[in-house]
Amino acid sequence: MSTEEILTQPANPAGVNLKKVAIVCCAVGIWFLPLVWINPVAYAVLTIAGLAFGMMLFMVASGMTIIFGLMDILNMAHGALFAFGAYVGGYWMLNLLEQLGWVEWGTEAQSIGSFLIAIAAGGLAGALLGFLVERIIIRNVYGDHLKQIMITMGVLYLMTEVIKIVWGANPEVVLVPMAFQGSIDVYDVIINKFRIVAIIVGLLIFGGIQLVLLKTKLGLIVRAGVENREAIQVTGYNINRVFTGVFTAGSALAGIGGTMWCVFQQQVFPEIGLENIIFAMIVVIIGGLGSVTGSFLGALIVGLSFNYVAFLLPKLALGVNILIMAIILLIRPWGLLGKE
Amino acid sequence: MSEPILVLNDVHTYIDQHHILQGVSFEVERGNPTVLLGRNGSGKSSTLRAIMGLTPATSGEITFNGDLIHQQKPYDIARMGIGFVAEDKAVFYNLTVEENIRISILKENGESNEKLDQVFDLFPALKKFWKTKAGVLSGGQKQMLAIARALVNDHEMILVDEPSKGLAPIVVEQLGESLLRIKEKTTIILVEQNFYLASKVGERYFILDDGQTVHSGLMEDLRDNSELKKKYLGIG
Amino acid sequence: MNSQLTPVQLDRISEKNNRYKKWSFWVQILLLAVLLAAPMMSSFRFMDAAAKIMIFTVVVASYDLILGYTGLLSFAHAMFFGIGAYSIALLSYHSASTHWYHLLLAVVIALAISVLLAMVLAFFSLRTKAIFFAMLSLALADFFHILGITWSDLTLGEDGITFSLPGILNIEWQGVEILGVHFGPRRITYYLILVISISLFLFLLRFVRSPLGRVLKSIRDNEERSIALGFRSFHYQIYSIVFGSAISSLGGILYGLWLRFVDPASVLGVFGMVDYLLMVIIGGLGTLYGSIIGVAFFISTQSWLPDILQTFADLFPDVAIMNRMADRWMAFLGLLFIVAILLFPKGVVGTVRDYLDKRKQ
Repeated sequence: MSTEEILTQPANPAGVNLKKVAIVCCAVGIWFLPLVWINPVAYAVLTIAGLAFGMMLFMVASGMTIIFGLMDILNMAHGALFAFGAYVGGYWMLNLLEQLGWVEWGTEAQSIGSFLIAIAAGGLAGALLGFLVERIIIRNVYGDHLKQIMITMGVLYLMTEVIKIVWGANPEVVLVPMAFQGSIDVYDVIINKFRIVAIIVGLLIFGGIQLVLLKTKLGLIVRAGVENREAIQVTGYNINRVFTGVFTAGSALAGIGGTMWCVFQQQVFPEIGLENIIFAMIVVIIGGLGSVTGSFLGALIVGLSFNYVAFLLPKLALGVNILIMAIILLIRPWGLLGKE
Repeated sequence: MSEPILVLNDVHTYIDQHHILQGVSFEVERGNPTVLLGRNGSGKSSTLRAIMGLTPATSGEITFNGDLIHQQKPYDIARMGIGFVAEDKAVFYNLTVEENIRISILKENGESNEKLDQVFDLFPALKKFWKTKAGVLSGGQKQMLAIARALVNDHEMILVDEPSKGLAPIVVEQLGESLLRIKEKTTIILVEQNFYLASKVGERYFILDDGQTVHSGLMEDLRDNSELKKKYLGIG
Repeated sequence: MNSQLTPVQLDRISEKNNRYKKWSFWVQILLLAVLLAAPMMSSFRFMDAAAKIMIFTVVVASYDLILGYTGLLSFAHAMFFGIGAYSIALLSYHSASTHWYHLLLAVVIALAISVLLAMVLAFFSLRTKAIFFAMLSLALADFFHILGITWSDLTLGEDGITFSLPGILNIEWQGVEILGVHFGPRRITYYLILVISISLFLFLLRFVRSPLGRVLKSIRDNEERSIALGFRSFHYQIYSIVFGSAISSLGGILYGLWLRFVDPASVLGVFGMVDYLLMVIIGGLGTLYGSIIGVAFFISTQSWLPDILQTFADLFPDVAIMNRMADRWMAFLGLLFIVAILLFPKGVVGTVRDYLDKRKQ
């Protein structure tokens, strides 16, 4: 063999991956399995509810998984950012705009506008708090997983108390913008309008993240940084600045997720952060730590199965997420798309 | 004798409590490929890491082009004009060859395209696998990509850490040719266990032992000095 | 003759011989005396605090076994505690009249459930990385918390269960006079808790000083080396988790005995974990005695911090936010927690030990 030949042959030629095809077939099969017990109309309603729920989970989990992938930080404070975003965007901002008569009474455009402003406010609040948390606290505990989990859990605990101080300890009603109230009827399938909004926003965020990761230089740096932090530094990029940026962006996603969530649930309460960080964690584990697409799949799996099971066996619904997580970890201990 | 591009003066580094470099001093002249030799654990790779600021020097000075760099961050040092090819194929496995190259280009302009052509000229295999993930390349191709990543910028100097590790002799030969072709424009500092490659590329050498520079001279003298080779390198 | 003894045995013998020279021995005697005398004080609050300190010392020390000695961060410790507390509460509440064998049964059930759950948890999470253990234990703990709230046929939901204990522990019991001191059910329960919690604590001390405890520490410090030395780190970590969790559930039973009331928020709540973490951190990781300090600090803070804050808030009656801050005294503990991890990661005992070691050198 000549030098040229050795140098121009790929080491592992890529082939068609039969295993992948089989997995996809199985997944689609399981998706339709509930049709055996549920009639098609109810199934359609549950599927849309599940998708909306999944998208909302994805918004929270995506920020968490990117932060873990790039910075190797398991950020429990993500729940605090979520809760803060929910209170600022969904509760405070919407109530403020309601005084202008925009949210539940104004024109269609005003109510949609108020929703967008609320989301922006929630995202901004999350980003701001996230920036501070990264700079003041997380900066000091890089590289020590145990400390990170403990201290970020402490931040979540503290923020929950701070929220109680500022907004009170009781659940509060969150307004739903008029344009998204009620539901539409498609061939007897009743679809809550806000669920459609949730699905659209979720898809937009997923698409946006993929676009940034795959098509921009920043995304390139982030993907490279996930793989090898040191190599990205010696290539000439300030990893700390990238860290802060990514953390802030992930926090903004948490804030947006919080706003969406509390409008969806029509209420907000101080422990909302803890409750959701656990959901998000399950999604992140199922998807594989650090994988955005994985957490998207994980979120859909959790969202859909939660809704189907809640319909069939309401008592089991809470355990089903943990059950799915256990099964997936038995087969793939590093999650669906995670790395070993 | 031209002016020194890089000067290390009594550099010490620590990892936790371990005193790794215990006074490394040497000078590298512009355009003069230099080889760092020594046993495993003698501090060769640590010296490169100290220059790049990855394990910052706790005392001593490192001067590059007349600027003190030992208190700079790795990314600033890289932008000052030092490329680093780390041990074990420093490429991003999940990125394609194209992305690996693209991320390495710090300033995109007309010149970078020219550079790219030069790199293709040097390593034609890269063009062939332009859209392939770097992870599936063979060992030699990965190493070439790693060197290409350092070359697409106008780096005045590149640090190459054991490029021959795990490669077939014929590939090492090719690698040596490529390094020889760039030595005019870019000052190379090479850490190498493969004496053949070291003597092919290097003009000057420094021998490190226990974290200190213990010997230096011209590569062609070392080739014949079997006593020295035996003492520090264990080859005769 | 000495050569036949293992290093652990030698260590123990030397400790036995030197115990009277150590100041720590006398501190222990003093502590015991205070605990014995606590119920004799007229203030119930003091006895209550002392009982809680003993109970939580057991729980926090067993948590330290898992976190400090084995290096695994579990968020399920509160869950095991809650399982213990609920097993005695449910048995007492759902049976027509409580008998002594119910207490025994509660112990058996609590141990069985917690051992089983701890094994399952460890099996699933330790197969990959240690952070999975943290995440999975958190998910599991939250599941049990929600279960406690929603399964209201069994647990009465968020209202919690008030139950009564058998025989001389029952509130109705008249009590006896011994040497002119009245021993009512409260005091009897107190001394029962005293005996059990001190034996559990000694048991834990014995555990971490056994060869097994040493292996655990070596795994924590360098897992790869311990594996290379021939220890199956996976097995040892499971022992530690199972053992620590079982002790925690016993602590839960003691808590049930003392309060005769359980509800999901206080015994199953996930944020309770942050309290345990705070107690461990304040005392110092990997120092069982530290847990006494951590718990004592926490319980006494819990008792007087709200009063102080309220007094402070009363100075500014017109500022609503001050009053609300006074209500949320837990926020200050959260802040303290963050500061403690950042500034004193070794805790009180760890810092003092470091200082003493330095002075010795």
